[in-house]
Amino acid sequence: MSLKTPSAAPDVASGGPSERRAPSRSTARGLLHVPHGGLVVVLILVCVFTALQADAFTSSQNLLNVLRQVSVNAVIAAGLTLLMTAGGMDFSMGSNAAVTLCVGAQLIDGGWSTPAVVVVCLALATLIGLVNGLVVTYTRVAPFVATLASAMLLDGVALLVLDGMSVTIGDKMSSLGNDEVVGVPYLTVVAVLVLALTGVTMRFTTFGRDAFAMGGNEHVARLSGINVNARKLALYALAGVLAGLAGLMLLSRLGAAAPNTAGLQTQLTAVAAVVIGGTSLAGGHGTVVGTVFGVVLLGVVANALNLLQVNSNYQLVVTGGVLLVAAIINEVQRKSSPGH
Amino acid sequence: MTSPATTTGPVVRVRGVTKSFGGAAALKGVDLDLYPGEIHALMGMNGAGKSTLVQVLCGVHQPDGGTIEVDGHRHTGLNVRRARGLGVSSVPQRRELAMGLTVAENIMLGDLPTRRFGAVDWKAVRARAGAALSGLGIDIDVQRVAGSLTVAEQTMVEVAREVRRGGRVLILDEPTACLSARDAGQVRALVRRLRDEGVAVVYISHYIDEVMSVADRVTVLRDGGLVRSAPAAETDPAALVRDMVGRDVVSRRPERPAPRDEPGLAVRGLSHGHAVRDFTVEVRKGEIVAVLGPAGDAQSRLFDLLSGRVRPDAGEVLVDGRPVPPGRVGAALAGGLRCVTGDRRSLGLVQSMTVDENLMLAGDRFARRRLHRSADLARRAAPVRDAYGVVALSGNPPVGSLSGGNQQKVLLGKWLETEPVACFLEDPTNGVDVAAMADIHTLVDDLAARGVAVLLASSSAEEVMRLADRVVVVSAGRTVGEHDITAITRDELVATALGGQPQ
Ligand SMILES: Nc1ncnc2c1ncn2[C@@H]1O[C@H](COP(=O)(O)OP(=O)(O)OP(=O)(O)O)[C@@H](O)[C@H]1O
Ligand SMILES: [Mg+2]
Repeated sequence: MSLKTPSAAPDVASGGPSERRAPSRSTARGLLHVPHGGLVVVLILVCVFTALQADAFTSSQNLLNVLRQVSVNAVIAAGLTLLMTAGGMDFSMGSNAAVTLCVGAQLIDGGWSTPAVVVVCLALATLIGLVNGLVVTYTRVAPFVATLASAMLLDGVALLVLDGMSVTIGDKMSSLGNDEVVGVPYLTVVAVLVLALTGVTMRFTTFGRDAFAMGGNEHVARLSGINVNARKLALYALAGVLAGLAGLMLLSRLGAAAPNTAGLQTQLTAVAAVVIGGTSLAGGHGTVVGTVFGVVLLGVVANALNLLQVNSNYQLVVTGGVLLVAAIINEVQRKSSPGH
Repeated sequence: MTSPATTTGPVVRVRGVTKSFGGAAALKGVDLDLYPGEIHALMGMNGAGKSTLVQVLCGVHQPDGGTIEVDGHRHTGLNVRRARGLGVSSVPQRRELAMGLTVAENIMLGDLPTRRFGAVDWKAVRARAGAALSGLGIDIDVQRVAGSLTVAEQTMVEVAREVRRGGRVLILDEPTACLSARDAGQVRALVRRLRDEGVAVVYISHYIDEVMSVADRVTVLRDGGLVRSAPAAETDPAALVRDMVGRDVVSRRPERPAPRDEPGLAVRGLSHGHAVRDFTVEVRKGEIVAVLGPAGDAQSRLFDLLSGRVRPDAGEVLVDGRPVPPGRVGAALAGGLRCVTGDRRSLGLVQSMTVDENLMLAGDRFARRRLHRSADLARRAAPVRDAYGVVALSGNPPVGSLSGGNQQKVLLGKWLETEPVACFLEDPTNGVDVAAMADIHTLVDDLAARGVAVLLASSSAEEVMRLADRVVVVSAGRTVGEHDITAITRDELVATALGGQPQ
């Protein structure tokens, strides 16, 4: 099994869509016009393949586990979708979550009440986001550079807060992290709420449309009376608060803060998910639905690789492959849609 | 060399070309013959399919049906590279130079001469680029950065580049839109020179007079179909308009109510760098004042300063008697000043957003709407679409897929329906067809009749004569004179624009 899977797994990622196209060209053509059609096909293929290869995949315990894992990433990815659609970028959300996680753990360990910790942590995370926003808006340093710098900085801060130790919080927050309501983990409920709110904001509010306008052409947005600077600050602050929320969710799931939890690696996964979902790095395009597919796809792939006991060295290779294939599919799909 | 058409066959023969975008037909079986040494004008209303046709020719779009023959050989699956290899090249509707590179690099791009180890031979680059320009009688320093050129100079550099690459068929898509009379004249002289050297030129333009003066043959498209293809000598302007529009178009100066005696827009001593120095003008409510002289750079600088995008070095702007804080977009908008850019692509419209959303982009922000529903948006946008005659092939596509003239109409609709007190219009009919031009002129008339103070910067003398009550002459950024439109003739106006003073 472990011999065969490393070669089989990448096959799923790369060979899947082209195999599907062979039997009937018209369905493949049709899929190009369904939003995220290609992505859905890849997702289904990965799920079917994993379910056939590993029985454990479909066990409710495993599915709940995937949901919990995916939920934290989804919250980060939701904020990032909105920000990237507006032409921004934040590499520091994962690190912001790490800081929140560590500070939260220390405070709870220090005897603070849970609600107070939540409020303080979210305020801190918002502040961090706001500082990112201020730097990006008023110094004109590229968001990529500015937030990459703050990601490294915050990763260091998180380590300093922990001072090299793990801090456990007992069962102070474990109901959020581990309980379910009608079979759905609380974490997933939170994530779905966040995603839904983000989706509604992007589609049905002027705030969301401002993000599309800014991402499409910032000059035009400014000249049309949109207060671009204020919008940017708000968007980065929003990314911050969602990162903080993700940090708290992670803390409640793990019940402890250990060095190198979350951080830049988590953020890269979120960026990958958003890009897989079809949001443009240059801004102006983006959907929450796509992001959901992206997050779930990456979560399922990671879980599948674990269940199939793929050598961890291959895990990165496969994840990278999935990202690449999905990005190519998105590009093909975008080109074939009318009006570019 | 004037009629080689009779002796040689066509270089390019197009038969029955069709093309549709997402189910809607943009070209419905079009024929076209291009002969060497002939300027072939392509005319038609906005969205008639002119750009699509030439894009099919030069390999940007693949036709859905029909044939393209070059030198008698049929070619299928043309792409830009192969078309260029066959000598078919184009200067698109929107100039596409690499703005950060020098003129020499732009001309030689893709074919940079190298020495050993692949090092670029800069001396040769400059020499060959210089030769390409001087061979066409163009006087531009090859060391200048492309971004610093005027639009006319950019056009000429692009033409020189295509000719140097061996273009035998040269397509120019609205090369003179937005150019001042002098610059347009230079471009036309260049085109005639190419014709005399045996190049087959396709010339797209909305200016009837220009086409009548430059073209040897005229082909008219309407709604993606061919209406007429005939030698220019056999047609006259009125017939041409009828072919394009399907009816006569008259655009005459109407009787507008006399301007009110209150200042709507006052600009005093506006200065910025070298382009704008001590610019002063006063526009009364209900009056249209044209600024003449600052073409290209200075004109768009004026837009930057008035819109609040750029903070002026000195000077003040008053709207409705109230000073507008300089250098702030929000303040200018709140004061009731609306500035319509001449550069719709980078400063006017969000290309990736839909037509309706672009139309309502500014209006909805002024109305402080919080919610956005597309059905509601479509309902509010529909009257504006109608009033401005915006035509899209299907429903509500991204504005970037509209034809150039239709984008211009969206831009005007976006700004003029937001209850302006004063307006600055920069080339409002840039790239717009005759019928739409008449409509837009009527809309601007109505705007003034409603009591809006309109400041117009236009490169077309006809437009100034048609719209303006007064003309302010600007030279080297400074206001040097002022004329009532009734006291000046068109020829004097052109002479003034060229820098001289009417006697
Ligand atoms: N990529 C595209 N996707 C969808 N529709 C398109 C696309 N390109 C052009 N069209 C449509 O095809 C029609 C013809 O467009 P085209 O650009 O050829 O017009 P045109 O004659 O050049 O007009 P103009 O004088 O305004 O430049 C228009 O209705 C336009 O909306
Ligand atoms: Mg066109």
